[in-house]
Formats: sequence, C-alpha cells, structure tokens
Amino acid sequence: MSHQSKHKTAHVQPLTMVHVKVRHATAGDVAEIADLVVRLKRLNNEFDPLFSVVDDAKERAVKYISGTVGSPRALLLVATKGEKIIGFLRAEMRERLFYDPHMEGHITEMYVLPEFRRRLMGQDILEQGFSELVKMGAEIIVGDLPSRNEIGVHFYTKRGFRRLIETFAHMPQ
Amino acid sequence: MSTAAPELDDKRRAVPVLGQASIEAKACAQEAQITEASRSTVVPRSGPKDELSRKALLYSKFYGGKVGTAPKVPVRSLQDFGIWYTPGVAAVSLAVQANPELSFEYTGRWNTVAVVSDGSRVLGLGNIGPEGSLPVMEGKALIYNYLGGVNAFALPVRIKDEEHLISVAKALEPSLGGINLEDIESPKCFEVLDRLRAEMSIPVWHDDQQGTAGVSLAGLFNALELTGRRLRDSRIVLFGSGAANIATARLLIEAGADPKKMLVVDRKGILHPEREDIDQLSLKNKWKYELALKTNGDRVQGFLTDALKGADALIAAAGVGPNLIKKEEIAQMNKHSIVFLMANPVPEMMPADAIAGGAEVVATGRSDFPNQVNNSLLFPAIFRGALDVRARTITDTMVIAAAKELASHAKDKGLTSEHILPTMVEWEVYPQVAATVGDMAVREGHARKKLSRDEILHTSMDMIEHARKTMDVLRKSGVILEPPE
Repeated sequence: MSHQSKHKTAHVQPLTMVHVKVRHATAGDVAEIADLVVRLKRLNNEFDPLFSVVDDAKERAVKYISGTVGSPRALLLVATKGEKIIGFLRAEMRERLFYDPHMEGHITEMYVLPEFRRRLMGQDILEQGFSELVKMGAEIIVGDLPSRNEIGVHFYTKRGFRRLIETFAHMPQ
Repeated sequence: MSTAAPELDDKRRAVPVLGQASIEAKACAQEAQITEASRSTVVPRSGPKDELSRKALLYSKFYGGKVGTAPKVPVRSLQDFGIWYTPGVAAVSLAVQANPELSFEYTGRWNTVAVVSDGSRVLGLGNIGPEGSLPVMEGKALIYNYLGGVNAFALPVRIKDEEHLISVAKALEPSLGGINLEDIESPKCFEVLDRLRAEMSIPVWHDDQQGTAGVSLAGLFNALELTGRRLRDSRIVLFGSGAANIATARLLIEAGADPKKMLVVDRKGILHPEREDIDQLSLKNKWKYELALKTNGDRVQGFLTDALKGADALIAAAGVGPNLIKKEEIAQMNKHSIVFLMANPVPEMMPADAIAGGAEVVATGRSDFPNQVNNSLLFPAIFRGALDVRARTITDTMVIAAAKELASHAKDKGLTSEHILPTMVEWEVYPQVAATVGDMAVREGHARKKLSRDEILHTSMDMIEHARKTMDVLRKSGVILEPPE
C-alpha cells in the first residue's frame, strides 16, 4: 500500500477524547511492544499459513524492536492509555534506487489491541507516523500487509492508500 | 388416493389437523417422554437407552415418519374441489397476489413452520448430514405440533455454505409463518440467525441458541430470587462457549445482567480482551469476540477455578461430564450458589457433588433430576404466540418476557431449591407463555394482527388443545395405530 505525502488530507483525531497518547517509544517499552509484535505476527498467520509464527518469536521480537529504538532511519511510535501500550507503529526510511519519489517511509508493522479498534486509534497512530516520516524526508509512505487481510486493506484504502506492489509466493518442492 | 393397500395407508396416515376445539386438560397431560434439553441428546426418563433405541428404530419403520399433512377442510364431494382447487381457488390466488399479506389469512402459511437444518451439529451426534438429521427434525416438528399446535415440518437441506443456506431460507419465506433453525454448527449458526432475523419478515428462531438461553434465563430468575440476589448485581460464570452459552450470555445482558460481572470460560480459559487468541476470535467468531471485549470487567485470567472464586451463579454448557467441574471449585463460589449443568446425557458434574460443594440451587438438562432446563418448555409456546399475531420477528424482548412468564408460573406453585421451573406436563403454561409473547409482539409493533392478550390467550389455548385432541381422536379411532412391541 502506498500514499504520496503531498496528498495527505486527513486530520488527527483529538486524542484527549479517548485518553490515548501517541509518542515515540523508549527502551523501557521494548518488552510490551515485542508482545504486540508477536500478536501481529500471529494475526498474520490467520490470513496465510506461510506466516506461521516461530516458537521463539518473542525473543526475536525483543531483538527486532530493541534495534529500532533510537535508530535515526527508523520510527517507532506507541499509543498509550495511561501507562499501558495499546498499539504501535514501526517504520523505516528506505531509498528507492530507480524511482521517483525517491525516499520512502516504509511502515513495516502497525497494530492496535482489538478492544481499542474501531475508535480511530489506528488512524491516530498512522497520521502521527505519517507526519513523522515526512519530517524524516519521506516523499512516499508505504505499508505492508498480508494480501488476504481484507480489514487491513480496507483500513489503508479508506485513508487514500492504493496497491503498489504484489508479492507472489511459491514453496519450492 | 388408492385404497388398494389399506395396511400401508393406515400406517402412514397423517397427524396434524387444525381447528377449534376444547378438551379436558388432564387428558392432554400425557406423560410424554420428550426431554428436549439444551443442544443435547434425548435422554430417557426411564429404562435403558438400548431399549429406547430399539423402539425408535422399530417404530420409525412402522410409522414411516412422525408427522404428515392432513386436510383442514371438509371434502363433502368431489364438487368441493371446485372451491378448494380450480376454478374457485383462482379468486383466492388473485386476492393474495394483489395483497401478499393475505397469504397469512387465506392459506395455512400463518401456522406453518419449517424446521431447517444442514445436519452439521445434530444433538450430540455431530455432523451427520441432512438425511441423518431428518429423524431429529421430524421429532422437533412433532413436539411443535403436540405442545404448540404448530403445523411444523422437517426440512433438512444439503447445503454447507453459509451464504447459500441464508439464501435458501430467505427463498422459503412466502410459504412460511416462521423458521426454526436446528442443529447448525457454531459459529455458522450465529451468522445465519442474525442475518435471517434482520432480513426476513417472519420469525426465525434457533432453538439451540434462543431456546436454551430463554429457559436458562427463566430458571435463573427464580434461582436468584430464591437466593436473595438481583440479576444486575450477580457475578455469573458461563462455562463453555458454544451456541447455547453465547446466546445465554447475550440474552442475560439484554435482560439486565452486568456484562462486567460476567465471565465466559472456554477450553483456553477465561475470555478477556487481551487473551492471546483475541485476534483469531475477531476473525473467526465475532460473537465470542464481542463477549471477550464486553465481559470480565476485572480482567480475571486463568481457568474455571479462577472464574468461580466469588461467583454467584454458574451456567455450564461445556460438554459431557461428570468430571468437568469439581465440588471444590463450587465451594469457591459465594454461599448459596446457583449451578446450572446443561450437558446431556451426563451433566458436567453430578448434582449431588454440586450440592456437596455448597450449591443451593442446581438445575440440569435431565428430567430425572429436579429443575430440568428444557427447551420444550419454551419453543412451542413462543412460536404459538408469534404465529397467532402473525409476528414478523421474535425479538430478545419477547424471549425475555417468555422467560419471565415461565418463571412466574413456577413461582405461583411455590419456589424451592428443587422447583424453579415448570415441567412439561404443566400444559397450561404454554398458552400463557404464548399470550405473553404475542402481546409483546403487538406492543413492540411486530405483529401483523393486533390482538389483545386475552384474545391471544384464547386462540393459543384453542390451538394447543386442538392439537392434543387431534392426537387423542386419531389414536382412539385407530387412524394412528398403537406401536408394535
């Protein structure tokens, strides 16, 4: 899914209404975010068996997220309700070697706990992520999703994203 | 019709005939061995199961089916077919064509219910297919007829796909006054029921959900009163998350229970919004998912043992016992606790163990223990009332009103820990429940025919009495033969 930053039109939902804050993650958030990463990967598995989650996913998620916190080329936002992290967005800046727009803000993971969905939390995180990535130099924003995640597809398309690239998979014999 | 094979004809003569009649109540209160308990097998009141199985096979072959059709009108001579059929019938058809609502007045549609199943989850037999389910659906139709005066017939369909099932059920609407969905696997049954209730203009009922939920609610009303509790303040644990308990949870909330004080426990533990499989539930079982978000305000985690600490009531529809619940777990509930054990033929724990654990009121799905939670107390009466006012739907409010009426009937006869619900032989409860349901349909604006409660009561009573009298007359006249030994 892709969205060119100049077309950004959506506004940020007033977070105070639902007492949710979106902020940059810190090292102290790693364990909680890692839990959400594992939940997201398990959710992906619901859409396709090729996303079967490995047994040590939690340990891998901790390493993965630890490597993101504080990275100048990555973005890690968390949505919190009180002290609790209820959602996150992870993105990284990538160079598009042969294409214009040249700099891409690539959302690799985004997740909100189910009980907080349908309350525009995902939109809040996405919009803040969007502006942060633009500040980091992104000229286009893209996001990854399992092809069969219709809810996710709807989420992005409703916010002006469109399909950009298809990934095909085939298991070797 | 040929008369050349009288023996065969005699065996297969049909039962249901409708009309106005009145008979002695006692003659009707036959000791029917029908025990339609929640999503469960039919349980013998007495005698070994093998003997019932032998008789069921023998009788089924002897009678060649349990229900059939029979005339409602006199055929005084062949000339009468000029009225009942062509050319006279054309005038009726044209009138109905001009106003399709007249099909509820000029035809038998108003009292006709199809018992529809895909055979995917039959009684505890599992997925035995539409043909396999046919004997069960015929049995259901017979109960509808005998206890509710409803002209019901079995209609298993060879359909696996949810959308196709919905489409076929909707296509049947012009012929029916209502649809009883039966023995459809979960969670398919939720989607099918919700969609059909929303999209059809006749009542659609899924007894495994609404029937069980309604009777459970009736029992719970009285059990709460008996133990000095209020529904909205009570901590209620639902053990098992199949069709019956999900529907019960939804109905309890509609009736005023506080969802935050309810805990639903399935094989993976207590439902809560952050359970590991919550994303999976959101995709595969949105009804259970909604309960996971709505219930368990304290975010209790763990299993049944943890859920029961400090609980007032337990409604178990979790699977065949008797060792699924321990008396030590019941002992962790509040004093004078309420325990409903719905699995058949063997409840999740034996009632004596629940009492030993401290339960004051124990109900089961079985007729050989006190307080049988029996769907048959409700569904014939609910449909009787709905059909008598030509209702467009059966709402949760109507089911709750029916549950209150059922509870009230038991209360009038004196509440004890062993008497919180009427039994099936108390036939007078059926017209009362029917009248309450019909009256609620009128009040809520879902009735095509606006009758007063008294009018519905009399109509329902006549219909139910007539069904019983018909059986009596057909048996005494030998039209329905006594079964072979």
